[in-house]
Amino acid sequence: MELDLFVRYGPALLHGFGVTLLCWIVGSLGGMLLGFVIACLYQWSGPGPRLVLQAYVEIVRGTPFMIQLFLLYYGGPHFGLLLTPVQAGIASFVVYGSPYFAEIFRAGFQAVPQGQFEAARCVGFGEWTIVRRIVLPQMLVSITAPLTNFFIILTKETAILSVVTVPELLYETQTMAAETFTYIEPFLVLSLFYWAMVEFTSWLGKRVELRVTRHLRRG
Amino acid sequence: MTTDSAAVPGQALITVRDLGKSYGDFQALQGVSLDVQKSEVTCLIGPSGSGKSTLLRCMNFLEAYQEGEIRLDGALIGWQESSPRKPLPGRRLREQRRQIGMVFQQFNLWPHMTAEENVAEGLIQVRRLSKAEARDRAQLALRKVNLQDKTGNYPSALSGGQQQRVAIARAIAMEPRVVLFDEPTSALDPELVGEVLNVMKALAAEGMTMVVVTHEMGFAAHVAHRVGFLDHGRLVACVPPAEIFGADPADPRIRSFLQTYRERNVV
Repeated sequence: MELDLFVRYGPALLHGFGVTLLCWIVGSLGGMLLGFVIACLYQWSGPGPRLVLQAYVEIVRGTPFMIQLFLLYYGGPHFGLLLTPVQAGIASFVVYGSPYFAEIFRAGFQAVPQGQFEAARCVGFGEWTIVRRIVLPQMLVSITAPLTNFFIILTKETAILSVVTVPELLYETQTMAAETFTYIEPFLVLSLFYWAMVEFTSWLGKRVELRVTRHLRRG
Repeated sequence: MTTDSAAVPGQALITVRDLGKSYGDFQALQGVSLDVQKSEVTCLIGPSGSGKSTLLRCMNFLEAYQEGEIRLDGALIGWQESSPRKPLPGRRLREQRRQIGMVFQQFNLWPHMTAEENVAEGLIQVRRLSKAEARDRAQLALRKVNLQDKTGNYPSALSGGQQQRVAIARAIAMEPRVVLFDEPTSALDPELVGEVLNVMKALAAEGMTMVVVTHEMGFAAHVAHRVGFLDHGRLVACVPPAEIFGADPADPRIRSFLQTYRERNVV
């Protein structure tokens, strides 16, 4: 193991990790937010709008992430949408994740019994208050695990951003490997970075789950 | 009849006129007319599928009725006073609903909130009380249903009877003008029915206006001021309980319905 390689490439790798974290956190939180909005719209709209939302979900889910990324980054300028690689990366991440998140939230809405909504309406709650105070806390019991799951999947999807020259972790690692003809060490370090993200997400998911299932434990 | 400025003397609190409700081809209610007087208990009885729960759920517009009208103190429930009918905007419907309490067969307590939080939530979110005041009022309401020792419990740690009493506390804490009960004891173990009925009796004695869909014939016979009997979506009779539970009710449908209870020595 040539440690002085890491002295030289360490800053670049750390910077790459930072970019990966940025794209992952902003992109997947944005995707979750968009997915939540889609699920709410779906829950409260008639058959017509539902068809449109469903079409969005099917189309985005039905295309590979790399194609979406290419379309946005290389196709965008044709429509006057000029994005830097990082901007394109984050934006496509938001779009790519949103239908999966939307489906998780839709399942969450369905898992909350109708009587819970009715009881809240009878007290005079507005629909947004119902979502915020009654439905979200309950659906989190059943959707925290799939949400955590998808956040973990997304950590590794960030690697695809390297194809449009986002200077993220894989991009920096490949640069290092290409310039130094070493492969084992850089990719070992790369794995450690992803592993840390996954472990952190998993830990956070368990914390959230403990918190939202408080009421199910007696005493 | 002293505190309600809006109430017109001599007029019923709730008036139902020629109510009709259908689901596709199925006519769940037709031509139902009914008056609910202030401070009276009206029980709705009848075979399952007769439309009694539907009638109750129309009263707070959980079900949108298509024909006729339901008025609370003169105000049309759920619809605008226009022709053709348009539903009330959400805000106005919510204002109506907060005057009408509801207690469900399945309690429908919010499982992630303690008993006290279940009661206080509406006071905070809808009545806009401070957390401290909402808490005080929740404590008071829970004392009324004899649950002052269980205020910090989550619903999962309460018996069915206790859960239903929390649900009643949640409804009355909002200070509604009427409370609707949809088979409040049907989901309870037999030994827990009594504690819920006792709370309801106390509430009735205080002068709360109540509409109760029930299979508890004893409660209907002894607590109700009027009993409505529904069959196939029609209100067959709405009379003082003596006329239904007396020796020989006039309508053969009522007679055959009560026969099943008499055979089990319930009444």
